[in-house]
Amino acid sequence: MRFTPRLPRDGINVSQEHPLKEATVLIVGLGAVFALLFILLVWLVDIVLLLVPAEAEARVFSSWDLSSLEVLSDDSRQAPVQELVERLAAHWPESPYEFRVEIMPGDEANAMALPGGLILVTEGLLDQVETENELALVMGHELGHFKHRDHIRRLGRVTVLTIGAAVVSSSAARVSLADTVGNLATRSFGRDDEREADRFGLELVQAEFGHVAGAWKFFERLDASALGIDRVAAYLSTHPGNRDRIDDLRALAAARGWPLDGEPVSLALGLR
Amino acid sequence: MSPESIEVLISLLFPLVLLIGTYLIGTLLERRHFTDLRAREEHFRGFPAITFENLPAGWEATSSDVVQGSVVVSLDYFKRFIAALRALVGGRVKSYEPLLDRARREANLRMIEDATSRGFHAVINVRLETSRMASARGDGKGTAGIEILAYGTAIRLASPPS
Repeated sequence: MRFTPRLPRDGINVSQEHPLKEATVLIVGLGAVFALLFILLVWLVDIVLLLVPAEAEARVFSSWDLSSLEVLSDDSRQAPVQELVERLAAHWPESPYEFRVEIMPGDEANAMALPGGLILVTEGLLDQVETENELALVMGHELGHFKHRDHIRRLGRVTVLTIGAAVVSSSAARVSLADTVGNLATRSFGRDDEREADRFGLELVQAEFGHVAGAWKFFERLDASALGIDRVAAYLSTHPGNRDRIDDLRALAAARGWPLDGEPVSLALGLR
Repeated sequence: MSPESIEVLISLLFPLVLLIGTYLIGTLLERRHFTDLRAREEHFRGFPAITFENLPAGWEATSSDVVQGSVVVSLDYFKRFIAALRALVGGRVKSYEPLLDRARREANLRMIEDATSRGFHAVINVRLETSRMASARGDGKGTAGIEILAYGTAIRLASPPS
């Protein structure tokens, strides 16, 4: 037998495709597919969740476990805020929710609408509002999210993203991209949702006080101090606190003929 | 620009920089290794390293010993990323192929170098084995690298091939 020396052949066990080509195809292709799936899923969850009547939502979430949220359970400021919210909600008689206000510790000014009629207000917000009218607009704004059920839609979006991120990160690249993009997408309600909530809030303020004077003073102060003070940064990170918002409210008040002059009501005793 | 968006930017940029960096370094190293492999394979071209279990007819061995060459390889970040994406949809994991090809050829060459440096004339019954080296992280579930071992029976011939 003869031994014929040969060199190993290149290209049998190694594919000749350029790695960047494969990378591009995979990244673009998978990105497109997942983006599409995500949009589809969010859309489906939106539909399903919006089909759930608000009454059922209120029932399911009435036993919301607050232990995971740091709330100040016996704060003296809870009662006056709760009372204000109930007065505002009285102008929305068909509301299926029983609103519950809880105070959260922290210097940052923020307010949140959570499923089941739960409204979280930070101590920082209560420190920074100066009149009842200002607080009423912020609370009315949160009631507006309930009215349009934005909080439920955000719940759907967050659920889909969390599940998606878990699936991707357990089987594939442990790059924190999914979390990052997810957080960005769900940080706030949409701009239009915020505007609608603002409008509903102002409507409640007008119904309650008979004028809208001083209602958006708090937003104006946020805007003025946005550059310097980071205490308001939290509210701004989940709410668009810019001129547009105030302009929109002003335009709405003008269009509906709501009086801009009136005496703002000072804060309830416990909040001063 | 708020500190938050800077944070987001950094968390997005860092993996991207890592991907590009490891791709460039990985490509350079791979190209150099393939050049080196071809040169050494050309050099040992005439050295028989064959898979027969027994001595081919007409060969007469005066002595023999076990020779071996072993290589441990690991993936770069870029290849791992692409493979992870590939794993989602399935198919040929092309990004691993050059790496494993390099490792097999390198192990084979090291075995041959072991044999030639000890004055053997051929290696028969050549075998390749692969084993996964568990990573110390994640309870040993991860992979630190792959070892490829080439071994065979080196023989010294009574009448060396010309």
